[in-house]
Order: sequence, then structure tokens, then C-alpha cells
Amino acid sequence: MSEALPQGPLRRAARRVGIRLLSALPALFGVLVFTFILMRVLPGDPAVFFAAGAAGGQAEIEMVRQQMGLDRPLPEQLLRYLWDVGRGELGLSMTTGQPVRADLLERLPASLELTFSALFLALVLALPLGILAALRPGSPVDHLVRFLCTLGVCVPTFVSGLLLVYVFYYLLAWAPDPTGRLDVFAASPPGITGFLLVDFALVGDWEGWRAAAAQLVLPAATMALFVLAPLARMTRASMLAVLGSEFIRTARSLGLSGRRVVLVYALRNALIPVLTISGIVFSTMLGANVLVEKVFSWPGVASYALDALLASDYAPVQGFVLLMAAIFVAVNLLVDLLYGVADPRASVA
Amino acid sequence: MEVNRRGLLAAGGSAAALLPAPRDAAAQTRAETLRYVTGNVINTLDPTVPGATRESFGLSMNVYDRLAAFGRRQFEGNWIFDHNSIRGELAERIERSPDGLRFTFVLREGATWHDGTPVTAEDVKWSLDRTVSARSLAPPQMQLGSITRPEQFRIVGPRAVEMLLDKPDRLALSNTCVPYAIMVNSTLAKRHATADDPWALNWMRDNAAASGAYIVETHRPGQQTVLRRNEAWKGGPLPYFRRIIIQTVPEPATRASLVERGDADLCIDLSPSDVQALSQRGRVRVVSIPQTNGFTHISMNNRMAPFDDLRVRQAIAAAMPYQDLFQAALFGRGRPLFGANWSGTPESSDFPQPMPLRQDLDRARELLRQSGHPNGFSTTFTIGVGISAWAEPMAALVREALGRIGIQVEIRKLPDAQFNTAQAERTLPFYTEGGTAWLPATYYFFRLYFTRPQRWNFASFDDAEMNALVERAQFETDAAAYERQAKRMIEILNEQVPLLLMWQPLHEAVMAQNMDGYTYQFYRQADFRDLRRV
Repeated sequence: MSEALPQGPLRRAARRVGIRLLSALPALFGVLVFTFILMRVLPGDPAVFFAAGAAGGQAEIEMVRQQMGLDRPLPEQLLRYLWDVGRGELGLSMTTGQPVRADLLERLPASLELTFSALFLALVLALPLGILAALRPGSPVDHLVRFLCTLGVCVPTFVSGLLLVYVFYYLLAWAPDPTGRLDVFAASPPGITGFLLVDFALVGDWEGWRAAAAQLVLPAATMALFVLAPLARMTRASMLAVLGSEFIRTARSLGLSGRRVVLVYALRNALIPVLTISGIVFSTMLGANVLVEKVFSWPGVASYALDALLASDYAPVQGFVLLMAAIFVAVNLLVDLLYGVADPRASVA
Repeated sequence: MEVNRRGLLAAGGSAAALLPAPRDAAAQTRAETLRYVTGNVINTLDPTVPGATRESFGLSMNVYDRLAAFGRRQFEGNWIFDHNSIRGELAERIERSPDGLRFTFVLREGATWHDGTPVTAEDVKWSLDRTVSARSLAPPQMQLGSITRPEQFRIVGPRAVEMLLDKPDRLALSNTCVPYAIMVNSTLAKRHATADDPWALNWMRDNAAASGAYIVETHRPGQQTVLRRNEAWKGGPLPYFRRIIIQTVPEPATRASLVERGDADLCIDLSPSDVQALSQRGRVRVVSIPQTNGFTHISMNNRMAPFDDLRVRQAIAAAMPYQDLFQAALFGRGRPLFGANWSGTPESSDFPQPMPLRQDLDRARELLRQSGHPNGFSTTFTIGVGISAWAEPMAALVREALGRIGIQVEIRKLPDAQFNTAQAERTLPFYTEGGTAWLPATYYFFRLYFTRPQRWNFASFDDAEMNALVERAQFETDAAAYERQAKRMIEILNEQVPLLLMWQPLHEAVMAQNMDGYTYQFYRQADFRDLRRV
């Protein structure tokens, strides 16, 4: 954080982070076992689904079952799976024919890049809107913001996504064709981080960077619209509470400029609930943006998990849930750390 | 060398002016590139791997060669495959012994694998052995053509391989044309074989060891696969397109816009309503071909009461409003398999063909009364989520129609994996689905869909005469006798009504205006080798 901090508190913070991560392990283990059992309890036999060849009979179904290890007793399957997870292996996806770990590693950056962009876009819009609404509660500005938020929440993402595609690609042709992260005819950057914007910037290919950014605009806008409401409403509510508090009245009575009062004293204090909700919104978006990923052919983890779920393909779904749980733990920790930045009185508990 | 559309866009051109860009070289490349968009996934490069998707079969036909291939013929103004005309693919010549027990394949002179090494008789023998020995999807298919053991394949010359049969199976040669019968570069594959995996199934899932018309340039499962033309291909005339981009685009509406805007060239899995809208606006070419080797059916579980009673099945057959169902499900876009005028013996031995099914409510009520259900009964009609676009309106009509003769129908919609599981376990009493046979010979249809306790016996039909007929027809060498047997199978279907044949849906390929040569293939995927721009 700041180099002015003495060594002691930093080390203590690091230890607390370590403890937090360790204490998350039982929860992750629980999620792992729960998903494993849930997938097998659900009706639908993946072996039958995948053995769909023209001559496919019972022998073929048995073959797939054996290949997926489903012919073994359940406890043995669980132990084997845990052993694999311990070694960092998540099994083989029947849907794509690839190891789940490789699939997730390839697709997670796509989902993260999209979610970060959408969250960034949403925050850039939601914070000023929320502040404006809080400064003039009940005014036309407030009502306009409320209307925008309601609209964003009411329209499902696949509707707004398809609408944006229809207007900006099909009718106006301003946007590139909505198929994935990069134009099919363009060359992809060397895979350094998996984040296309970062990779293009690292190799200095600005034309490619612009192409990747252009692909991002519509899906990110679709998602941002959807999460605008919780962020703007939370900003408004917490700004209202803070603006009415005594220290703000004191600051005003001392003759500080309105700008300074709002942006420094009020906003900083109002940010904590916004941060909390951003963390939750982020985690939700990562898993819930499956519709956006489908509409824009975005090769992300959520659409990957949905395809696998529909096919009763166990390994990818289990891998996805584990990944989401891990990300949730990490995001919560990060949000707690950010509390400290927004409000030095808060500490990582 | 690649068209960078984004660069042009940044340069300020409007998108409408993009394709006829002034950069001739780039435009040339785009014209010789085919961009195919699909909602499905290629999950393996080796089509024999258990779990291979139909998209993977389609890819393998373009990447691999087989010894032989089906020809094609005109059907109602379009091209469809012709299983009665078989030509050599990797084989230059195929000789059949007069008794039908020996086929000799003479390989093409100068044929090479993608790595440039020559194709040898040893490679072909290894590949054929693989189709009967590997733990893959191939052996059960080959078995249907009486091809079961490696000893049936013999190298008889530097460029010649023999296939020996115990009995003159009608479909032995046809089975060398199916996607599973790929010819593999054995030297390359063996290098990646292990003790556990002697046929290199694991390695070939992600790598091609092929000699076909196209070479896999990049393969990202679930996203896109890029193919480059094999300039040294010997299996047929060099295809038109130099480059193929196969892209997975899950949203059907997006696929429709891509083709209509000219950004994609071909799509074969659009929703029927999109196809109709696109063909009305007329900016794309729509090729609609009845799926001649398929059929949609309404199945009744013949082992489950009350459908084990012939009169109940006949009553249901007489209660269905066929034409309304056809309109509601497919907007009439297909070939009806009901309403034929023959009775007793059919005129043709082809299958599927229209059956004499028509609505007659009085007869239905009478049959139901005779069967001991004068007041009807209750049952469930099951549909899979994957086919709900057409099956849902159909189910509603079935429910209404059967309600009129007193049968209470509850509609149940199941996710595909669950639907398939219930179907394989034969626990569905009454449901609809479709079936497609790679080799559309009449006896093969009946063997696959109307005999043996296996998954594709949709109605769990078990009829001693049918079982015997199918056995006999497989090895029948007398054409007239075979014709009689095939007609008898169709008669039994008509007498016993184990299931109701409904229609053949259309295979609808939507493509750019300037595309030509699209052929409906038995595996229901695009064969890029057939396509060109005009």
C-alpha cells in the first residue's frame, strides 16, 4: 500500500491474509464434495448423452462410461477426483474434448476481461449518477437516474444484448460482428496474460488493441447496463446518509468548498457499502453473464459451464464451481483490503 | 495476407464498403475463404473417439480420406449424396469379386499424407485394423457391415489391400465410406501410441494424421478451427476454397445476422423461423433439402401397457391430425411421411416412404372401445428441450387431438441428457424424436430402428418375422428377393404401427448468394469440398 507504513502492520496484514485463505479451505472442500455429489444425483446420464453415434448401442454407452470413470463405485470416483484436484488436474471435458484445467485457464481471462471492463464501465456511470441523485433528491435528475436504473434492471441481458447487436451491428454496422474476442480474420496476439487488451499493449500492436476493444464494447455495455442499478442506488443511498451526518454539516459550516465536501469527505465515507456491493456484483457477474457470453459468442467460463451442465458433463461443471468459489474467496478478501484504503479505521478481520 | 477488416474500419470506410475493398489481393483471399458459423462444437479431430459430435464428423470428412466415398445426384433441383454410387477416394480403383466376398482396393499413385510422406498399403491396413480393434465408436458401426476382425484385411501388393467377408454383406463397402473409416498416417500415429492406447486415440483427438483435402491449421475446441487447402490432395478434384474458418457462434439470431450481412458464408443450423424470414428478405441463398435418410416419429412403448395393445396403437394412429401437426411443428417445411394411398403392399421398397396414415376419429374411438378403454386412459408425452422448438407446438396438438377420444395426455419436457437416459432405459411411454441413418438401405433402417433391445429401437418393437427378415436381407444377393423382403418390412410397420412416421424435416443451408454446389450429406454436415463461389 504505502511505503511509509512500518514493517509491523504490513507483516500482520499478510499473516491475516494467510489465515483468511487457510480458513477458506474447508469451505472450498465442502463446495467440491457437494458439487461432486449433486452432479451425480441429478438425473441424466452423460454416457448416454455422448454415446450418440449412429450405431451406438449399449456397448458404446459402456465405453463412454468407462472412459469417464463412471463405472467405478461412487466413493472411489470421489477419492480419485480429490486426488486429481490435489495434483491440479480437474478431469477431461467431454464437451470440448480438452482437459478442464486447460479450458478454464484459456477461458477465464476472457470472462475476467469482460467482467472487469463491464464493472469499470458501470462504476464510471454509476458513481456520478448516484452522487447527482443524492445531491438533489426528488429532483428531475433523481427521477431520471431512477428511470435509467429501472430500465437497466428490467431488460434482461439477452434482450439488451440482442438489441444492441441489432442496432449497432446489423443496422448501423458501427460495431464489428459480435463473434468472440477478436475478428476471425485478424491475427491474435501472443498469449502472455490471456487478457487481449494487455497482450496487445505489451507487444505494442495498437491496431490489434483497438480491434479487441471494439469487440468488447457491446458485451461490456450490455453487462454494465444490467448492474448499473445496484451500484447507482447504493451510491445514492449511502451518499444521502453521509451528507446528512454531522461531520458534513461541520465541514460546510467551516466554509469548505462544496466540491471538496462532496468528493473528499462525503464520497470517501460513502464508498464502503459501494465497495461491498461491487465485490458481490463482480462475483455474480462472472458466473451470471452466461447470457451475454452466449449472445456475443464470448469464449468465457460461464457459457462453458452451461454447455457442460446441459450435457450432464460432470468434470467441467465441478471445475467451474470450484473456480467460482475460489474467486469469491479472493474477491471478498480484496474488498476487505480495499476497505482499509477507503477507511483507515477498518481492518482486515 | 489476411484481410484485416478492423484496420479498414479504422481507416474510415463504412462497413458496407468493406468487402469490395480496393485491396485486390486481400479481397481475393476473402473470396477464397469460407467462413462457416455453427452453434455446435468440434470436440475431437478423430471422429471415432467416443463422444465425438456431429460437427466433428463433418470436419473429419474434409480432413481425412476414406478408401471410398458416396457420389452425389440431383434431387428436386438440389444435390444430395447417392449411396448407390460408390467411388474410390484414397483408392483409385475398387474391385469386387463376383461372389461379393472380396474387395480389392488399389491405392492412388502418388498419394501423400499431410506431412508429405507417401501413403502405403501398410498405413491402410493399420487404419482398417484400427476401425475394428480400437476401443472407439468405429467397431460397432463396422460390425453392421460384417467387418469385425483384422484378419479380414490383407496387403496384396505395394498399393493394394484386400477386404475379405464371410458372407456377402450388402453394406460392407458402404461402411468404408462412413466418417469412422478414416485412413490414418500410421507412422505418425504410432509414434504417439502408448501401451495403454495402442491406436493413439488420445493423441489423435487433438492432432490429425491425415491425407484429406484440408489441413488443420489451428483448432480451438468450442471456439474456432481453421483449415487450409491441401494442394497435394489426390482424393478428388482440388476444392475451390483455399481457407475454411469454422466458428462456433452459440446464438442462432447472431448466426442469421452474420450470414445476412455477408460476414459469414454458410450456416446450416438456423431456427426455422429465421430461415423463413431470411428467405423472404432475399439477401441470402437458402438451399432446402428434405433429409432423405431421416424421419421424425411419434413412438409408443410397445412393451408398456396400454401401448402393448395393437388396437390402442391403431387408435392413436387414427386420432392424429397429421397435416395440422406438420404445419404447427415445421410450418410445412419438410416431406410428409403420412397420407399415402397404398394399402397392403407398398409400391416402392424405399424407406422412409409415406405410410397410409390419416385421421379418422370414429375409427379411433371404435378401436379404443374394442381395446377395453372406452373412456380412454392417461399417459405422458415426453419431449426433449433440444427439440422443443418444433416438438412443443406438436405436443400441444397431440394433447388436444387425443383429448377428443378421451385420452388424457400430460406433456413432460426433459433436458436432453435426461431425455436420452430415459429413452435408452426404455421408460418413456409416449414421445417424439427424430432418427437418421447413415446408410439409407431399407433393411438397415429396420435393423437399426425396429429390432433388438437397444437404444435406437425407439418403440421397443420386437417382432419375430421382422427380426428374421432383417437377418436374411442383410446377405440377400438376389435383387428381386431383397425387394420382396424390404416391402414386407414396410408392410409389418404398417400393420403393427409400433411408431408413427411423421415427416422428413428439411435440411436448410443458408449461404451467401454467390455460393454453389451445396450437397446434402448423409452425416448432415457441410462438405466444404463440394462448395464454390460463382
